[in-house]
Amino acid sequence: MKDYLISMFVDNELDIDEKIEFVETVHDDRFFKEEAVLLLEQEKMLQGDMVATLPHVTIPVVSEKESWDFRSWFLPMTGFVTAMVVVAMVYFQNSAPAPISSPALAEHRFVIYRPDVNKVELVGDFTQWTPVPMEKIGESGYWTTKINLPQGEHRYSYFVDNDQQMPDPTVLAHEQDDFGGVNSIIRVVGSI
Amino acid sequence: MMKPFRKFYIENKEKFFGYLLRQTGNYHLSSDIMQESFTRCLERYADREESSALLYTIGRNLLYDHSRKSRGDASYDDELHGSGIDQEETYGIKEEYQRVLRAMQKLDDEERDILSLVVSSGLTYREIAKITGNSEGNIKVKIHRSRTKLKTILRQE
Repeated sequence: MKDYLISMFVDNELDIDEKIEFVETVHDDRFFKEEAVLLLEQEKMLQGDMVATLPHVTIPVVSEKESWDFRSWFLPMTGFVTAMVVVAMVYFQNSAPAPISSPALAEHRFVIYRPDVNKVELVGDFTQWTPVPMEKIGESGYWTTKINLPQGEHRYSYFVDNDQQMPDPTVLAHEQDDFGGVNSIIRVVGSI
Repeated sequence: MMKPFRKFYIENKEKFFGYLLRQTGNYHLSSDIMQESFTRCLERYADREESSALLYTIGRNLLYDHSRKSRGDASYDDELHGSGIDQEETYGIKEEYQRVLRAMQKLDDEERDILSLVVSSGLTYREIAKITGNSEGNIKVKIHRSRTKLKTILRQE
């Protein structure tokens, strides 16, 4: 007897001929029927709730964010570095004093995946906590915006549909703010 | 088009954690391996279409590595597959499910592996056969044998 038809039934693996065989066997063989019911009950238990809470997993953002960041600010930067070296050489040749550089800005791309909402805004110390609307990337579910940030530590979070504040799920460091929300913390390294 | 990884993660995390927990009976160990599996899945295969079969293959290999590394440590096998599950390991696991997990730990490694995959992953017999290196004809017999053995163990408790 093909006992394993019971497991195939439990796991939705029967093709149409096996279904016929299964139903006929259930009808003709009392032991087979009882075994099927027992294993279905066991399956219910096996599939039952195991844990109250799932552990937290930090998803690194290699493909979604970091590579974009890398391309969007590192490559243009190499051109900038070359230009600065040329400028510096000219300065030194003329024995002119070195220029006093203003605080360097690095372009940072913020990305968040929220396919289920209509509006996402970015707020942070660099926007003086004024919401900046983020742009939807087609139908991908991603929202993005680019901001020039001075080097150093920055705090920010996202406002979703005007009523929900959330930290950046891709950034580990965060802290409670004074208003009951949570801000993400990033460190921006200056370009030059 | 490639599915965004976060979506893949959300769709798979619960089932995948269920697989690891059924395999190990240990919440902390399962959490660590889940973190490592998703990270590897993303880092190594970022350019490929994410597939759950791949995730389970990675998780399964990590479990295997872990058990091989711990082989020298006698307490590992005792803790995991011998005298059952100790208190620290049951942390986070619902009390009524602990009995099921204790019974699962009494299956052979292969039986537990196959049954955990079937119950947790939602993968087809064909995919499970491929992951575990079995033929399709063989896998259905093995799956059923693992199920009936678990029934016997649960009955004896």
